[in-house]
Amino acid sequence: MFPRAIDAYRVLPELVWCGFGVLVMLMQPFVRSRHFFTFLALIGTLAGTAASVTAAMHAGPGFGGLVQSDSFSFFFRLLVGTVAFLVVLAAGPYLERERLPFAEFFALLLFATAGMGVLASAQELLTAFIGLEMSSISSYILAGYRRDSLKSSESAMKYFLLGSFATAFFLYGIALVYGSSGTTMLTKMGSEELLHRTLFELGLAMILIGLGFKVAAAPFQVWTPDVYEGAPTPVTALFSAGPKAAAFALLLRIFATVPAATHFWFWAFWALAALTMFAGNLGALVQTNVKRLLAYSSIAHAGYILVAFAAVTSMARGEGGSANAGPAYAAVLFYLLSYALVKLGAFTIVSQLGGKGEKNLSLDDYAGLSQRQPWVAAALSVYLLSLLGLPVTAGFFGKFYIFKAAVNSHLLWLAVLMAVNSIIGSYYYLRVIVVMYMRESSAEAAAAAPVGFPITVGFVLAFTVAGTLYFGLFPNQVLNFILQPTLLGR
Amino acid sequence: MLPAGHLLSVLIFFPAVGALALLLLRGDDHKFIRIIALIVSLAEFLFSLLMIRSVPIGTAGYHLEEYLKWINQPPINYHLGVDGISLFLVILTTFLTPISILASWKSIERRVKEFFVMLLMLEVGVVGVFLSLDLFLFFLFWEVMLIPMALLIGIWGHDRRVYAAVKFVLYTMAGSILMLVGIIWLYNATGTFDLPAIQVLLHTPASQGGLELAPRTEMLLFLAFFVAFAIKVPLFPLHTWLPDAHVEAPTAGSVMLAGVLLKMGTYGMIRFCLPLFPEASRRAARWVAVLAIIGIIYGALVAMVQPNLKKLVAYSSVSHLGFVVLGIFAFHNISIQGAVYQMLAHGISTGALFLLVGMLYDRRHTFEISEYGGLATPMPKLAAFFLFVALSSLGLPMLNGFVGEYLVLLGTYERHWGWATWAALGVILSACYLLWSYQRVFFGEITREKNRTLPDASAREKWILATMAVVTLWMGIGSTFITKRTAAAAQDVIDQVEPQRPYEAAAPNVITPGVITPSRIPQQVKRDSANTAAKVASTERLGLR
Amino acid sequence: MLEYLWIVPLLPLLGSAVNGFFGAKWPNKIVNIVAIGSTGLSFLGAIEAVHEFFDYFAQKQQPFHREFFTWIAAGNFRAGFDLQMDQLTVVMVLVVTGVGWLIHIYATGYMAHEGGYYRFFSYLNLFMFFMLILVLAANYVLLFVGWEGVGLCSYLLVGFYFLRKSAADAGKKAFIVNRIGDFGFMLGTFLLFKTFGTLDFVQLFAKADPWPADAMGHLGTLTIACLLLFMGACGKSAQLPLYVWLPDAMEGPTPVSALIHAATMVTAGVYVVARSHILFAHAPTAMLVVAIVGCATAFFAATIGLVQTDIKKVLAYSTVSQLGYMFLACGVGAFSAGIFHLMTHAFFKALLFLAAGSVIHAMGGEQDMNRMGGLSKKIRWTYVTMLTATLAIAGFPPFAGFFSKDSILLSAFQSEYGGRNVGYALYGFGLATALLTAFYMFRLIFLTFHGKPRYDEHHVHVHESPNNMLVPLMILALLSVVGGWFAAPAFLPGGTDYFAKFLQPVFRNVEVVGAEAEVHSLEIWLAAVAVAVALAGALFAYWLYLKRPEKADGVAKSLKPAYTTLLNKYYVDELYAAAVVRPLLWISTNVLWKTVDVAGIDGAVNGIAEGAKAIGDGVRHAQSGNTRSYAVWVVVGALVVIAVIFFWPSGGKPVLGMVH
Repeated sequence: MFPRAIDAYRVLPELVWCGFGVLVMLMQPFVRSRHFFTFLALIGTLAGTAASVTAAMHAGPGFGGLVQSDSFSFFFRLLVGTVAFLVVLAAGPYLERERLPFAEFFALLLFATAGMGVLASAQELLTAFIGLEMSSISSYILAGYRRDSLKSSESAMKYFLLGSFATAFFLYGIALVYGSSGTTMLTKMGSEELLHRTLFELGLAMILIGLGFKVAAAPFQVWTPDVYEGAPTPVTALFSAGPKAAAFALLLRIFATVPAATHFWFWAFWALAALTMFAGNLGALVQTNVKRLLAYSSIAHAGYILVAFAAVTSMARGEGGSANAGPAYAAVLFYLLSYALVKLGAFTIVSQLGGKGEKNLSLDDYAGLSQRQPWVAAALSVYLLSLLGLPVTAGFFGKFYIFKAAVNSHLLWLAVLMAVNSIIGSYYYLRVIVVMYMRESSAEAAAAAPVGFPITVGFVLAFTVAGTLYFGLFPNQVLNFILQPTLLGR
Repeated sequence: MLPAGHLLSVLIFFPAVGALALLLLRGDDHKFIRIIALIVSLAEFLFSLLMIRSVPIGTAGYHLEEYLKWINQPPINYHLGVDGISLFLVILTTFLTPISILASWKSIERRVKEFFVMLLMLEVGVVGVFLSLDLFLFFLFWEVMLIPMALLIGIWGHDRRVYAAVKFVLYTMAGSILMLVGIIWLYNATGTFDLPAIQVLLHTPASQGGLELAPRTEMLLFLAFFVAFAIKVPLFPLHTWLPDAHVEAPTAGSVMLAGVLLKMGTYGMIRFCLPLFPEASRRAARWVAVLAIIGIIYGALVAMVQPNLKKLVAYSSVSHLGFVVLGIFAFHNISIQGAVYQMLAHGISTGALFLLVGMLYDRRHTFEISEYGGLATPMPKLAAFFLFVALSSLGLPMLNGFVGEYLVLLGTYERHWGWATWAALGVILSACYLLWSYQRVFFGEITREKNRTLPDASAREKWILATMAVVTLWMGIGSTFITKRTAAAAQDVIDQVEPQRPYEAAAPNVITPGVITPSRIPQQVKRDSANTAAKVASTERLGLR
Repeated sequence: MLEYLWIVPLLPLLGSAVNGFFGAKWPNKIVNIVAIGSTGLSFLGAIEAVHEFFDYFAQKQQPFHREFFTWIAAGNFRAGFDLQMDQLTVVMVLVVTGVGWLIHIYATGYMAHEGGYYRFFSYLNLFMFFMLILVLAANYVLLFVGWEGVGLCSYLLVGFYFLRKSAADAGKKAFIVNRIGDFGFMLGTFLLFKTFGTLDFVQLFAKADPWPADAMGHLGTLTIACLLLFMGACGKSAQLPLYVWLPDAMEGPTPVSALIHAATMVTAGVYVVARSHILFAHAPTAMLVVAIVGCATAFFAATIGLVQTDIKKVLAYSTVSQLGYMFLACGVGAFSAGIFHLMTHAFFKALLFLAAGSVIHAMGGEQDMNRMGGLSKKIRWTYVTMLTATLAIAGFPPFAGFFSKDSILLSAFQSEYGGRNVGYALYGFGLATALLTAFYMFRLIFLTFHGKPRYDEHHVHVHESPNNMLVPLMILALLSVVGGWFAAPAFLPGGTDYFAKFLQPVFRNVEVVGAEAEVHSLEIWLAAVAVAVALAGALFAYWLYLKRPEKADGVAKSLKPAYTTLLNKYYVDELYAAAVVRPLLWISTNVLWKTVDVAGIDGAVNGIAEGAKAIGDGVRHAQSGNTRSYAVWVVVGALVVIAVIFFWPSGGKPVLGMVH
């Protein structure tokens, strides 16, 4: 069958992102001006994001069902697009400071974004694999973008090795699934008797492992702290928000369309969720490096999201199938949204305060920040409180909906474990706030001029803070959107 | 002057507006900031007085209700209302806020603007807690209130302030997260977060479309709520955050903490634990009472041997709040009214104690009793006030402490004479620790030279203390002004937790049954009509059946 | 006036407030006017009220009762600011205001040169207020207000010289010991409310009257209630075992000792028992307990009084002893006799204290009788008045004490509670106490006023007190003589005891008045015995302290153990300290606070936190940073996941039940 124009519409965002990526590459030899590339990248990300609207207007399966353009993918395209846009904004000053080339960075960023887009809209495993690789490979390079820094290259190396290791699992899983079901189309895997095919089950397990690595679920989270710490901070911001969201999107899509998955995966998710939460929080408890602390916290939050997944599975296993798992989907999507905003903002602040060569990352460097830069401290506090899940922040509703999903599906113990974890979590988030507000700044810190926050970065912070608070007070629109029954097209 | 329909919203958000205004002011003009904060809080106090008219005497149920759809999935609504019990707790809050602003007039020199902003935000949270009729909204304010309090302790506190602040937050969090799970669970069972609606549901038998929780579920839910409240109260053995928090907090912080925040716990018990989970409450009552009594005696004994004056007062709160919890879980109209009254009285007298301790601290920068002694000579006025407050706190008749204490014990005795007898020991002990510490601080020859020249109460301090003293006296004599407004609400709680009260029939005063009836029956009739009306209204809005 | 009864207690309160707020700046003269004026007016008001009450009673034949405003109301509980007046109240009100007023006048002289003059009178007036509330109250709760209030004033006045640690300690001790009694009192009121649904005297007693009386030895509701009330009375009226605070209370200024710790406050316990006589009448066991405790206290305190050398301490113990008499009277059902003794005692004991104060004043603050002697000539008026009081308390006719004490002993002798023998035993101890009383009182007189001066006459310039101190002494002396004559006719054939007759409307349902023939003769006999005993005591004191002063020490030596025991008041204080106070403090400090609170609970919490951190460290070290180990992690994890997916029961059902 031959692709028609409509198919192009349905993957327009990805096309745009890739296109701009290529464009940036091509311009690189001819144009010197950094700002030009920044501008170009901004245009590109924005255009792609805008294009996702077009895609949504032409909803429906594309390329004979390889991809699916529906509200679900729209949501994620919007999300990753916005993330990419904000990262570009935040990255400019960073690259400036670290004397790093602009063009490649933005190109890679755009490709990664495109990959995530594909991942979010893919409805066929090989397409998903392509998306996964697109985002991963560019991520590997981005992680090692600070060539002169040992840490950075090391993290890139680790990420690459382990990443490809996981990819192998994923690929092998696809093979098994194909072998047992004779298709790689998720939509064609609805049949009952697949439930009794061991190979199929094994395949799904492999896929789960592969994606588990992407979302940094324990015990596949080991790479996260090192990579997050080593990578340039804007990249870390991207990692924590983008690829994770995309991978979760794919997981959700598999759930929604493959009943077998919901059948097999329940306890796996139960265990993964519990493990991940504890691994993340307990690890973060003793960190003194803020960047690393946030890395661990992002593991913990992956754990919370996995709780929602466990809820999805158990709901979907009930009568009515995945149809009545709506609230749990909502929980995941909303959480990813709030979480992306917060992590983006937090890492941006970290990257600014890090200073040349990212030296000032330890908690002590944040002592008395509320005195030196009250607004930055306030913003960071908002993010932390949102991560902590306190009311009037988006994070609170995120956590609330996950709790609700868990309790709805009678996962009371998981809910209690989550409660315990959020108490542990509250301790280290508070620690940062305490340091910022209740400790006096060190002599040299007080002496040094306050770190500058360029207008672009300021915008990123303002945007994320506003979003966090807005969704914390009025989550209605988003919820109405993600709760619509036709979220996932058929 | 006000849109009468939105009085409660005004009450909640007016301080927030004030805080915002302060935030925009220049930070260096301290005097101006203080004055603005004071004016805001005073206005707030006056607003809160307007509520009194709107709470008719002798009818339970919620008044001045406000209802707004907020989030439709799940149905979370902005639902406010006030009844006889919350009425005075709100007024207590709005009364203590200006007091504590005045109290920190001079003692706060660092980051003045932020301090008053925090104080006002705290007020927002607390008032919100007392006025919310939507579980979710309640929880929201409950959590919001945490941050300003923690910062008040952590930034403007004393040496170990950070430890205390973090401890305070973690303790409360631990409870409130459980409560959140409980709230959600309750929502799953009832399909709404609306308190009156849930009450109606839980109190109509399943046969009539009502809802009956399985005993185990009910008990778990009860615990989820109760633990959160018990930590806040604090009930033995969950009390260890309190002494640290108090000792480290600045005076204003202590006043608000002891005066109001602790009451949120006991208020929660009255408002949620008893009406929503009557069966579980009845089953748990015995154990709760034991803890409360332990708290009363234990708190008093530990207070008695504290070398640190502020810690002493803190532990005395543990003891006093024990009375409140006991009164609540005795399920007797008199004891519950006593409990409410004790909440208010404790708010005033312990608040005043902390003010006085703070004034001593401002002069000598220590809480160690051994550092004082013979202060009555250099500062007779302060000594007089201190004695007055101490007497009210140890429950001297004609002062506020007595009424609550006596009613609690009396009501409790009606049900379980054993409990009351044990609890009454607290009456002896309170005299011991208060008078002993008073003697060590104020009587005798001056032991430290630098105490000889301490200044007596300044004009500002005198005004603060005089206000507190007047209220103390008024509450001690004119108690009926308050009790006749709390009566119906308390009765309502009882009727929900114990629809049929076996003990009243069984009570020995069968020889003259005339005694019980006259005061209660008519009141109950009124309650039923008014209350069901209110409840039905709120249920219809929610389109429940 | 009766309609405005509230004015009577309110006047002193006003006086107190005025002096308290403004007195600091005023000269003593104005303070005097306010203080004496307010009390004097309330005295007049009381007289007028009493006068009106008599008319009222003549018509209505029932006590006057008026509700002024509701103080506490909750559920079916109501405590009002209600005042009532009946014959019992009349006696109390007149004693309180009258004696109180005299003592105020005296104090203006005695305190003239003390600091904190206004403070003193403010407290004193406040005391008058609370005392009047106590006696006028129409329900137990309001009575409790006065009850606690007088305790407070006692605390303030005993600790008046707060610079002295001993004074502050004494005040605190007084308050706390009283609180222990109040604990019982409160519980008593609770039980009464639980039983009768009201605490208003009129209603309560009306309901209690028809109740069947508890059998002797059986702890029925009323018995328990009475015992609890009596516990309160023991605290307030310094009976065993709660008497310990009263002797210490002598730290206060002497007028205070006279007013609070002799004439009025300490008799509140007796008043409460008498007021609750209907309840007690239903509880023979309680009656017996009251009688025994009273009798025991009377004797016990008297023995301690024998050896005290501080003139005020002697009077203090004699007060405890006399209060014991009053309880003895109530305990054997002779309530009117008890109240009668309360009144006469108020006269002569107040007089004794005031005279003692005058002595101390004359001696320039000296209180030790061993450093006095031969004062009779130097301060004649003081001597005469004090001698009168001594004769009264020792029980010589025709002085007041004779009549009251005699009627008590008579009723003890006739007592039926717990059988005749108990009655005789009570009488015996009562008589012994009379002997001891006469002895130590005359010991006091002889040591103080007779014999050779034992002080340095060059340094101490003994001088008679000013008139504003002497006049009250004389008035009280007069009262101590004639105060008992109400009962005098009882000794004439067919005469009646007017005092008992007067109180008869109050106590009608519990005691019969109107002595018939043989009782009459018996009364004469007992009176004779009592007088003889008193005489013996007096003579022995005369022999021991005037005739043969050297013998006194000899006696002391020969009875060393007994003597030292008495001198140290049977070591009761030491016992309490060792058995109660110190253990309590130790446990609170080391067990409750340091162990349970800090180590136990906090330790556990912090322990959990530490544990979490430790695990966190573990997690961190698992992050070796070594890629190969990471790979291993991944593989292991993969195996785990696969295992879970395959071997876990995949039909996971709801974990916890929800709604049914």
